[in-house]
Amino acid sequence: MTGYLVRRLLATIPVMMVVAVVVFSLIHLAPGDPAAIIAGDNVTAKQIAEIRERLGLEEPLWKQFALWVGNLAKGDLGTSIFSRKPVTELIVQRAEPTIALTATTLVVAITLAITAGVLAAWKAGTWIDRGVMIFAVMGYSVPVFVVGYGLVYVFSMQLKWLPVQGYAPIADGLVPFIRHLILPSVALGLAYVALIARITRTSMLEVLSEDYIRTADAKGVATRPKLMRHALKNAAVPIATVIGIGVALLIGGVVITETVFNIPGIGRLTVDAILKRDYPIIQGIILIFSAWYVLINLAVDVLYTFLDPRIRY
Amino acid sequence: MKTTRRRVLQGAAAAASLATFGIRSRASFGQSGVVRFVPHGDVRSLDPIWTTANMSAYHGAMVYDTLFGIDADLQPKPQMVESWEISDDQLNYKFALRDGLKWHDGTVVSAEDCVASLYRWSARDGGGQHMMKRVREIVATGDKTFEFHLEEPYGLVLDVLAKTSTPLCYMMRAADAATDPNDQVTTNIGSGPFRFVEDEWVPGSKLVYERNPDYVPRNEPASGMAGGKVVHIERAEWNIMGDPQTAMAALQAGEIDFFEVPPLDLIDILKADPAIRIEVLNKLGNVGQIRLNHLHPPFDKVEARQGMLALVNQEDYMRACIGNPDYYQICGSQFACGSLMENDAGLEWMENAPDVEKAKELFAAAGYDGRAVVILQPTDIPILSNAALVTAQLLRSAGIEVEVAASDWGGVVTRRAVKAPVEEGGWNIFHTWAGGNAQSNPIALSAHAATGENAWFGWPEDARHEELRDAWAAAPTLEERQEIARQLQENSYRIVTQCIFGQWVGPVAYRDSLSDILAIPEIIPFWNMKKSA
Repeated sequence: MTGYLVRRLLATIPVMMVVAVVVFSLIHLAPGDPAAIIAGDNVTAKQIAEIRERLGLEEPLWKQFALWVGNLAKGDLGTSIFSRKPVTELIVQRAEPTIALTATTLVVAITLAITAGVLAAWKAGTWIDRGVMIFAVMGYSVPVFVVGYGLVYVFSMQLKWLPVQGYAPIADGLVPFIRHLILPSVALGLAYVALIARITRTSMLEVLSEDYIRTADAKGVATRPKLMRHALKNAAVPIATVIGIGVALLIGGVVITETVFNIPGIGRLTVDAILKRDYPIIQGIILIFSAWYVLINLAVDVLYTFLDPRIRY
Repeated sequence: MKTTRRRVLQGAAAAASLATFGIRSRASFGQSGVVRFVPHGDVRSLDPIWTTANMSAYHGAMVYDTLFGIDADLQPKPQMVESWEISDDQLNYKFALRDGLKWHDGTVVSAEDCVASLYRWSARDGGGQHMMKRVREIVATGDKTFEFHLEEPYGLVLDVLAKTSTPLCYMMRAADAATDPNDQVTTNIGSGPFRFVEDEWVPGSKLVYERNPDYVPRNEPASGMAGGKVVHIERAEWNIMGDPQTAMAALQAGEIDFFEVPPLDLIDILKADPAIRIEVLNKLGNVGQIRLNHLHPPFDKVEARQGMLALVNQEDYMRACIGNPDYYQICGSQFACGSLMENDAGLEWMENAPDVEKAKELFAAAGYDGRAVVILQPTDIPILSNAALVTAQLLRSAGIEVEVAASDWGGVVTRRAVKAPVEEGGWNIFHTWAGGNAQSNPIALSAHAATGENAWFGWPEDARHEELRDAWAAAPTLEERQEIARQLQENSYRIVTQCIFGQWVGPVAYRDSLSDILAIPEIIPFWNMKKSA
């Protein structure tokens, strides 16, 4: 296993290198000029050209790439063109809200989805099953921002239970922290609840028709241990896979959720950087997201060995 | 340790008390002296001289101060300056700074600081550059006195120093003003009524300013950028929100106090809320411009530009772009309606617009060869996006082939700087707007220049136009300037430097706990503003 882990980790290096080249090329070849944006409106083409030169954007692309990769090798993601702050500092500054939001979403989504999926499989064909499936289809179909606006309208504007927007760091107290995370987590998590619940149900239905479950029934094993210990454990591999994919997909949802709920996280940092063409930030974030993707896949692969002892690397 | 129901309950109680402590600690901070503001955009550079971005000018108005400021009647009045004298021959200006001016680091504002600031600002600003062509030198003559020595009389010295179009003439410490004008200043030490709280700055999300306790305001009542900048609040928090819907909901829920640009199509919802006030602070609003590329066909020919002008029916544009007639007006003046330079010279084109037949004749006379006219469309700015579509439709009605190049605003500002022909990444038309106050000044707004490839995007060239601009700047009286503005406008429409597609205002929305917000063109002031508990 250790050898496998080392091999997989080493394999991330060429992957990240390819990502670096693709990201840099795409960003720099796409239309847009940070100098024209930062200069403001009341400037001439000559003034923009001067700013481009000062920012080093007039250098040949290969030179800019070499400089960036050289700094990357030293652990330096560069400096924001606009705020003049190190990209690493900006990402760290925005990390807490994003980590809090994704962690809360995952906990809520996994807990609800597995419960709903197991229930639906256990009560297959009943109104519970149909209810869960209707919810799953709706949850997966409705866009995050629509859910977000709906939740804000009901729970913030009408009932006035929860804040409309913003983020309260945990240092400000647990209650404000949780109050600010409830609506965004629900909005972001809905699609994942739906996705995971459907897979759980399907996987559970397959396992529940296996001979060893019939044997468990014949032995008089109670429903709860039968479902949780015998069935769910054996149905867990596809569920873990879809959770892994969901974690990776969360990145996209975070961008929208953070914008709708005005959460100062990495998602908003990404959108702002793209709109401003703040190349170092875009490059840094995509690189980190790519590493995150690779590591999540690795974690899921490792998790398989715990869920199914037959799997060996 | 055995887990019992009692232990679980104890743990829950402890967690709840911790959480309650959190709430108390937040509440004890107090919100009555804090104004939570959502501006129209992010402050992308903290150097308000280096960039002409409006949000940086807002930041500058908090942190820095100006020698002169325009008052509510748009007249220049002293701000940091206590007194000044102009020699009889109009060639020497003597200025004396008022007492009590201090930088945020505690040092005293000196004439040397101001001289260095003036040189750096004038290297960046179009109006400043125009003035400095006539200035032989600016020299400090004492700790608090400095002089302008001019080569020839220039009637706009005080106006240029007081202008609110970007970049404003903010004063900085000499050490900061020594920064190359092409590089950004890295500190935020001004002498203005607020101090920037750098520790709480989250770029792209939040900026915080606190009252400068050392600021000594003038004794006169506040009026525009002039008069006493008396601060009645402790702190201003600027929250950058990407989604106007969210900002609107936050305003209604009382989570913010002040929203600068509520969406016009939803303004009636806010009007119906008794706790929210809607007000137009910038009375001159914005003037929509259609910029034509004078370098390449078809708009390198004046007939084609006149053809475009013949099509511009402002009502069509305003209905598509603004919609609510309470907030727009039909105005062909190149200098904004309501401004001191407003006039009706050369507006014959408006009478029959859109005159499709005339446009067809003019395009034919220009030798239009059927090639597609490329219109840049910024899809993330609804006003300009819709304006692009209206222009496209009007041109098609006159038999002109049109290609609408959609992108975000970042894409438009990049492409509009390209001087190459369309087939090499250039363009023919883009739409934009300027603040009405800036638009009223033929010198300060670079869009008025007709200096060819050195002009603003579109690059019009006309010697007569430039002569008139210079004459306007040199004119000693308002009446003379107004007369020259008429000639300038007539000339502008003769050669069609640009078309004007309408004028509109943007109301702000704020909670009724706020009061005494000053109306200043192109700046949101936080001095004079009061917030009740």
